[in-house]
Amino acid sequence: MTHGTDNAWEHPEVQLAGGGYVAAFVVGLALMGLSFWMVRGHMFAPAGLAIAISAVAAVAALVQCVLLLHMNVSRTQVWQTVALVLFIPLFVLTIGLTSWMFHGLYRRTMMMPAAHAGAPATQAQAGGA
Amino acid sequence: MSATTSGTLDAKKSPMWSSGHGHDVISTKTLGFWLYLLGDAMMFTALFAAYAVLGHAFNAAGGPWIRTVAHAGVAFRETAWLFASVLAYGFAMMALKKGNRGGVLLWITAALLIALGFLAVDGHEVMALFRMGAVPERSGFLSAFFTLVLYHGLHVVVGIAWMLVMLVQVASAGLTEKVVYRLLNLRLFWHFQAVMWVFMFTFLYLRGAIV
Repeated sequence: MTHGTDNAWEHPEVQLAGGGYVAAFVVGLALMGLSFWMVRGHMFAPAGLAIAISAVAAVAALVQCVLLLHMNVSRTQVWQTVALVLFIPLFVLTIGLTSWMFHGLYRRTMMMPAAHAGAPATQAQAGGA
Repeated sequence: MSATTSGTLDAKKSPMWSSGHGHDVISTKTLGFWLYLLGDAMMFTALFAAYAVLGHAFNAAGGPWIRTVAHAGVAFRETAWLFASVLAYGFAMMALKKGNRGGVLLWITAALLIALGFLAVDGHEVMALFRMGAVPERSGFLSAFFTLVLYHGLHVVVGIAWMLVMLVQVASAGLTEKVVYRLLNLRLFWHFQAVMWVFMFTFLYLRGAIV
């Protein structure tokens, strides 16, 4: 868009809007409902549930990033997409490494409840979940 | 991106800083705002990390723990409210696409009212927890829990205030370049809340079932 004086709403970023919003609503709500249903019915053991709802959350976030935030590699959107893709490792590493550090600290300082403190091997397995 | 300059570079005359001739104000501003939003997401990241660390039972210090304070059913109702508001704002963007000013006003009003519904559920829930003695200062766990809940709630409040401002601007100034880029930035902000809520719902409210 080089002619800012024309109709501003004809800008390509405005024209990105579309029916994907309805799909994002339906898919987003359905996936959150799926997680809710799995948790309500205790479909898996806690560790399995953690993996299942994390995977559903990742899919839901991806669907919303594509359909709502229009992440794609078109000329108008490519830099937004690059910034988001570079953000994802920061997100995962910050949460993952912080959890890992404190998990080790809690084990070594014996702050875990007594029942668990006596079984370090079980703790290590739970930490992977 | 294809702009070339000859001779010395004058910051005020280079394409990034001037407006109007040959450069894309709307794209520049939405990219800048998107980068800010990713910074905000980093703030959420830090709070999620703190919540992951302080989510252990002994951080509840003998007080209310996750199964008592995180109600998945209430959170699922909130999910429906928030996603519906995001959808309504999407319809406002589809009206904007056609230059339909009345449609933009109508759907932003709808998004605003639905967001108030979310806030009502959220506020009611927080107040109920406060009444039962689950207050932020009770334990490290509750501090992390409420910081995340209230930080998210604050975003919804800001989004509602911003929608009010945009209703006034669309009604008074029309769909000018400035109004359009602000509507686009609000779209990014509001739709980003839906993505953040996916993580709130999963790792804050459903966590009670997996620890």
